[in-house]
Amino acid sequence: MQNFSIGLSGLNAASGALEVIGNNIANASTDGYHRQRVELTPTTYGKIAQNAVGGGVDIGGVTRLIDKLLESEIMLQGSTYEQISQELSILTAVETTFGEFAEGSGLNATIDAFFDSLRGLAAHPLERVWRNDVVSSAEVMCSEFRRMGASLSNLEDQVVLEAKNTGESINSLTKQIAELNGKIQVIEISQGQANNLRDHRDQLIVELANLANVETTQREYGIVDVSIGGLPVVTGAITVEIQVGLRDDGSLGVSAGNSSGYSLTVQGGRLGGLMSLKNESLQGIAADLDNLAKAIVASVNQVHVQGLGVNGSFSELSGGTLDANSLVAKDAGVTDGTFYVRVTNTATGEIDRYAIDVNASGASPDTSQTIAAKINAIPGLNASVVSSRLHIVADLGSKFDFIPAVVPEPTAATFTAASPPTVTLSGIYKGEQNDTFTFTVAGAGSVGNGNLRLDVTDGNGDLVSTVNIGVGYAAGDAIELLNGIQISVSTGDLNAGDSFQTQGLATSDTSGFLAAAGMNTFFSGNSADKMQLVDGIAATPDRIATAYGADLTDNAAALRLAAVRDQGLDSLTGMTPSEYYHRIVANIGQQVDLRESRQSNVEAMIQNLENRRSEISDVNINDEAAQLMIFEKMFQAVAKYLTTLQSVMSTLMNMV
Amino acid sequence: MSGSLTSIYSSISYALGLHGKSILQLQEQAASGNRVNRGSDSPSDAYRILGLNSQERSLQSCKENVMELIGNLEISSTIIGDMSTELASTLTLLTQIVGGVHDSEGQKRIADKLNNSLEQLVSLANTKHASQYLFGGNDTSIAPYAVQREGGRIVSVAYQGSNASRYVDVAPGLQIESYHVGDEVFHANDRQTPIFLGGSGAAAGTGTPNVQGDVWMTVEHDGSNYRISIDDGATFVTVPAGGSTNQAVTDSRTGRVLYVDTTGISKTGIELVRVPGTYNVFGTLISLRDLLQNERGLKTQELLNYVDECVAAVEEVRHLLVQKEVSTGSKIGFLSTLSNNLEDMEFDTKDETTRLQEADIAQIAIDLSRREVLYQMSLSVAGKLMNMSLLDFLY
Repeated sequence: MQNFSIGLSGLNAASGALEVIGNNIANASTDGYHRQRVELTPTTYGKIAQNAVGGGVDIGGVTRLIDKLLESEIMLQGSTYEQISQELSILTAVETTFGEFAEGSGLNATIDAFFDSLRGLAAHPLERVWRNDVVSSAEVMCSEFRRMGASLSNLEDQVVLEAKNTGESINSLTKQIAELNGKIQVIEISQGQANNLRDHRDQLIVELANLANVETTQREYGIVDVSIGGLPVVTGAITVEIQVGLRDDGSLGVSAGNSSGYSLTVQGGRLGGLMSLKNESLQGIAADLDNLAKAIVASVNQVHVQGLGVNGSFSELSGGTLDANSLVAKDAGVTDGTFYVRVTNTATGEIDRYAIDVNASGASPDTSQTIAAKINAIPGLNASVVSSRLHIVADLGSKFDFIPAVVPEPTAATFTAASPPTVTLSGIYKGEQNDTFTFTVAGAGSVGNGNLRLDVTDGNGDLVSTVNIGVGYAAGDAIELLNGIQISVSTGDLNAGDSFQTQGLATSDTSGFLAAAGMNTFFSGNSADKMQLVDGIAATPDRIATAYGADLTDNAAALRLAAVRDQGLDSLTGMTPSEYYHRIVANIGQQVDLRESRQSNVEAMIQNLENRRSEISDVNINDEAAQLMIFEKMFQAVAKYLTTLQSVMSTLMNMV
Repeated sequence: MSGSLTSIYSSISYALGLHGKSILQLQEQAASGNRVNRGSDSPSDAYRILGLNSQERSLQSCKENVMELIGNLEISSTIIGDMSTELASTLTLLTQIVGGVHDSEGQKRIADKLNNSLEQLVSLANTKHASQYLFGGNDTSIAPYAVQREGGRIVSVAYQGSNASRYVDVAPGLQIESYHVGDEVFHANDRQTPIFLGGSGAAAGTGTPNVQGDVWMTVEHDGSNYRISIDDGATFVTVPAGGSTNQAVTDSRTGRVLYVDTTGISKTGIELVRVPGTYNVFGTLISLRDLLQNERGLKTQELLNYVDECVAAVEEVRHLLVQKEVSTGSKIGFLSTLSNNLEDMEFDTKDETTRLQEADIAQIAIDLSRREVLYQMSLSVAGKLMNMSLLDFLY
């Protein structure tokens, strides 16, 4: 009766193979499905005349056609592809936000328009229309900075939100993987085969790898453990959930279980892309944009605080919000230095200049309150800090400003003759460093006579100029020294050794305090999304500082404001504002271009790997059809064999 | 057919995606006419294009300044030329007076004509162009010359503009004076030794005076000493016995000083002291007008001598104007050249930008056609592969 068993085993094997083929064809379009093959093994029954006799066929197993190394590589490249795609998608959005190269748009044009308007104002400092032009171009530039700052901020928020959602998707997938691990283990521990479940689980792992770069470890009974960034998230049927959140420094991080701090960093996959975007690319772009906005604000303000508009000196001035405890807080840019306040007696026209030393780094640094107290000590001025803002009010009959113009009356004057001349100084100092110049009389006699001259020495005592006020000099004529200071000496007598001094101010604020305190500033804000034109300027364009000179008709401040355009700024690594912005745009372009290129490469690589994988693991309908025919014939043959046996048996039975 | 349906689908999908992306990019380039539509299209070119765009805008704003400056200077030059012509005609009249062509009545008519010229010259000096005074230096908002009148006649013209020039950007890193300082255009600044034209015997002292133009010096004798005044007798300085080589005489009205060598004084009287190199256009005309009116009651010959001397003063200010006209002309020439240079630079910048940014339409058309063929071929091949199956042949 062994023959019947052999036939039956053949029928079973053919039937099983047809089932597997059917399963393959049914899953021909199923993602992640690996075609399966029945492993047929011959069975032995006994011996006939010392020869082993076969006992039919047995289904040794149903195996998946899979190249694990290839699958692992596809998973890795898929993870990389997802990361690049995510980065590319957001960076393309950033590039679109910058909007350069589109007709009539982009920050580049608004920056240029702002500095062009300042150049125009420098040519027409006393005309209202040019002031209005500066106001409108500054407002357009600020709104463009704010729009871009806000867009980047929104993108960062979106990235964080998407990263958190991705974290939840990861947790959902790891849970499903763990469940499948459990089911597979149960089946395979009892010698069963769970190929379809394995395919399903492996497909989930591939999906997980698209979200984050995973490492897998195969264990017995078909179990696969999964780790993300070194953190085991699936161990058999057990999962550890991850949480995505912001660290204290604003960067994205991952934490596992109930731990806090989001100290883990994930690479690869969508989450890796989002983390890389938030922690590097977007933060870098936003920081660059903020840095540019801050540099323009600081440079323009530093020039503007020292100047005056056509409205002239101030009776009252309020600044921006200051930190009550520290002048260097919030990266305000205050350093040790001095700022100078010029006070004018409006009745007599007498002008005095006072120096306020700012101690920002010493053992007991100044605060806004101590600075206010120092200003309070100046005759004619009252300063206070109200609602964290410095407020200066001049007494009736006094006005104040911070212009660096040379003060008309000399200081430290020592005249020993009975009828000394009146010395009048004027002009705008053109030197690069603040300096004190001492004028010492050589010779003796009346101005316009003899060999009378003035020897001019700088703060180091070095002779920088000699001014003839003897024969050849008509008393009262103004003589310009090389550094922009003008001197006029009226008729009168001088003795040898008589002397006087004057201060040449390249800047009337070496500390940066005035700009930080928002005193007579042009812009406010220290980042792109907060940059704006000071309200007072927008409402009263006459307040735009164009002059450094005492008669307010010059355009020295306007020229210096316009010159910021071509200045290499330290805070912009020596680049001009425009160059820095061009670099930002080009960098973003490079980042997008790099990712596009990498995406293409990885896509091509995946395509090749997928083709190889397809050859090995995908269901080939033609192949399955051929197999179907083989096993159909086998089934038919075995059935014929059984029919033959039955016929043989019937013949035997008829013989009995 | 080898390969699974999935692999066929995947390959076709990949190929179509690739061609579709290229076609989209080419379509965008064809539509915009630009090869670089965003930074990522060519980062290095994008950097250059942005820089060139900024440069072009900067050049445009400089060019606007230059054109405005040329306009201002051309008008200024015309004004200076008109004033120079007016002074030339004055010189002709003076020559006629010195030659005895005009009698005293004729001289007074000429004085009236000079008064009209003065009014006209002041008006020209206060010319506004595009709401800006042309000769006020930095201060373009107020009329640079203020006049003081007595009986309707101008008795003094004072410069109240700025003594500083306004500089404007005309090219990156180059600034040029935009408005004339009137006091530099219409007022000589080359002080020379005073010339005493009378017969008192006074001469220039050793000190440098600060009086300007013509000064009338009165020499009197109080019985024991000579006395000198330069403020029409408002104040006198007594000459010490034997005189002094450097006697300071002050005009109490202006505070200005004239240094006089009084050692040779031997006569009293009123005499004209000229200070060459300090004349201004308006003061000279006022002085001439008043001289021709002969309000000091000078004798005919004395008057003619003084008029003859005044020719030098008019020539001095006219020479000054001619110099300014020439220097303004050369500045206009320089600015015109600069304007042309800026235009050339702007053209080159635009040209380079176009070269970097503009798309090659012919190339796009060829690429588009190639991609279209590939796209269609991919679809066609996919269709054929999908249609072929062993199943069709088995049963």
